[in-house]
Amino acid sequence: MTSPAITSTRPTIKFDRISVILWIGAAVLFAGVFAYGGYLITVMQLAMIYGVFCIGLNFFMGYTGQASFGQNAFAAIGGYGTAILCVQYNMEPVLALVTSMVVAGVAALVVGYPTLRLRGHYLAMATFALGLITYDISVQWTSLTQGYMGYAGIPPLGIGSYTIEDERMKLVCLTVLALIGLWISQRLRNSRFGRALRAISGSEPGAAALGIKISRYKLIAFVIAALYASASGSLFAHTVGFISPEVFGLHMVVVTFTMLYVGGVGTIAGPLVGAIVASLLPEIVRSTGRFQDVAYAAILLLMLIFAPKGLYAVGDLFRSRKVDKPETRA
Amino acid sequence: MPSSVELIQSLINGVGIGLVYGLVAIGFSVIYNASGIVNFAQGVFVMLGGMFAHTLLTTLGIPIWLSAIVSTIAVAGVGILVQILIITPMWVRKAPLFAIILATLAIQLLIEQIIIITLGDQPRTFPSFTPGGPLKIGEIALGYQLFWILGCGALMVYALTQFFNRTRMGRALRACSQNAEAAALLGIPVNRMLMLSFALSAALGAVAGILITPTQYTAYSVGGPFGINGFIAAIIGGFGSAPAALIGGIVLGVVQSGAIVFFGAGFKNVVALTVLLIVLLFFPNGLFGGLAKKA
Repeated sequence: MTSPAITSTRPTIKFDRISVILWIGAAVLFAGVFAYGGYLITVMQLAMIYGVFCIGLNFFMGYTGQASFGQNAFAAIGGYGTAILCVQYNMEPVLALVTSMVVAGVAALVVGYPTLRLRGHYLAMATFALGLITYDISVQWTSLTQGYMGYAGIPPLGIGSYTIEDERMKLVCLTVLALIGLWISQRLRNSRFGRALRAISGSEPGAAALGIKISRYKLIAFVIAALYASASGSLFAHTVGFISPEVFGLHMVVVTFTMLYVGGVGTIAGPLVGAIVASLLPEIVRSTGRFQDVAYAAILLLMLIFAPKGLYAVGDLFRSRKVDKPETRA
Repeated sequence: MPSSVELIQSLINGVGIGLVYGLVAIGFSVIYNASGIVNFAQGVFVMLGGMFAHTLLTTLGIPIWLSAIVSTIAVAGVGILVQILIITPMWVRKAPLFAIILATLAIQLLIEQIIIITLGDQPRTFPSFTPGGPLKIGEIALGYQLFWILGCGALMVYALTQFFNRTRMGRALRACSQNAEAAALLGIPVNRMLMLSFALSAALGAVAGILITPTQYTAYSVGGPFGINGFIAAIIGGFGSAPAALIGGIVLGVVQSGAIVFFGAGFKNVVALTVLLIVLLFFPNGLFGGLAKKA
């Protein structure tokens, strides 16, 4: 299961026809959501928050080709860190966000160091266990986390006296943050560091032979994923104003995995595309009433069967193939 | 500090539930060894086994032994359907393994929702296979169902070991797990073997579900916990042989029951998962990972 990711040789996001169509589509979607307002704004806010999470997860699972089912643990650290620092200690939201990210990063470093020696399913299971343990702790350690009750009244994001209260402004802010995350991801992917990660994804012995320190690079990718996850947890807390253990439970693992694979793991914009599609899908099937979950699962399965490398990769079918990409079986 | 009777009682119960985890774990290993896929819908087969048996037993009035057999076959059929309709199309399109794993999660959601719509969302149970009991040894009570679980578990493991080692089909399945291409070159129908592995592990899950339902309950949602615990058991056992998976399940069941006695029910998973992490740190390929390769 230490699978090579779907790596393309494309250096950057190109502005060819497909990308332009994609960007225009995204712009139209956002314009529509802005005009329509109401509940759809909340849906898109959550899509952006999950998008940040998935962009981070993509570092570890997409670029490096490792498995982590436990990034929700770091999102929980971010969310609870923010909630506790803001509600109990009246800390500045931005400062709380950064502090939680530091805590999550250190936690990822400590936890990842022994765990990342594992491979394949064993790594998947160990990280899964981390996520489940974090969930149980957040339920049981009531003096810190208030258990199932959760934290309410978390202030919205802002600097000093200026806070972002308007829902539309929140969405703009989250979108900008997600795009910054995407930009960092794209820059890092094609850096020396990103190329090393992709070499590990292709072949660990091969990467080691090229002088790449495998365990160190894996650990850094894990920490980066944890930082993104923590940021998304904090953003969730600030945007919704309420968190409980359920927010960071098993549901989050499944949802983010869906987003990552629907969008296209290992691609640059795939995670964000997946986050938007997978967030809108339940709203689209809602009209089917009590069959909505059946419809959701069926559509998801059809997407996985007919676009197994993600929706973002579907665009490649229409591109003229100038570079022959080696087909890698993951 | 709990009394020794209480402790022994809960450990015995732990062995019972652990055997069921072990059966689920064997189901995981069968599919994994044949294809490299971790089928997260494994827990759904446990749920389907219990639900089908209950429906046959109560609404159609079929005797328990016949309901058990019919529902096991029916669940094996569901396993084959899953393989034909979803796994093979993805396999042919060279989907990444994790995409297939995600698809099995979607299958779980789909089947659970279909069960809610068709059979309802109320939890249900049916009586123990043999009435009477529990058997008293001193102050320790042993329900008769526990003996059914023990007996059927041992029988299944024996039958599976014989199947994998003695029959042509079982050996062909093992050949696929070692090298699918070489197996295909030797004339083994690899795709049919994959179908067989899905049918087999679905049937195993169904048996586990039918055995455990009288001691607990079954509902559309029980698949998730059984799937997770079965997977943990498979990891402890090392995805190797059937006995290893079974022992992995028993270890997990006993640790969980012990944790309930000492730390309370809320911490049973924290303790079990911490034990799992420690096991993994010292045995990165599971307890029997090294042994299974030689066998």
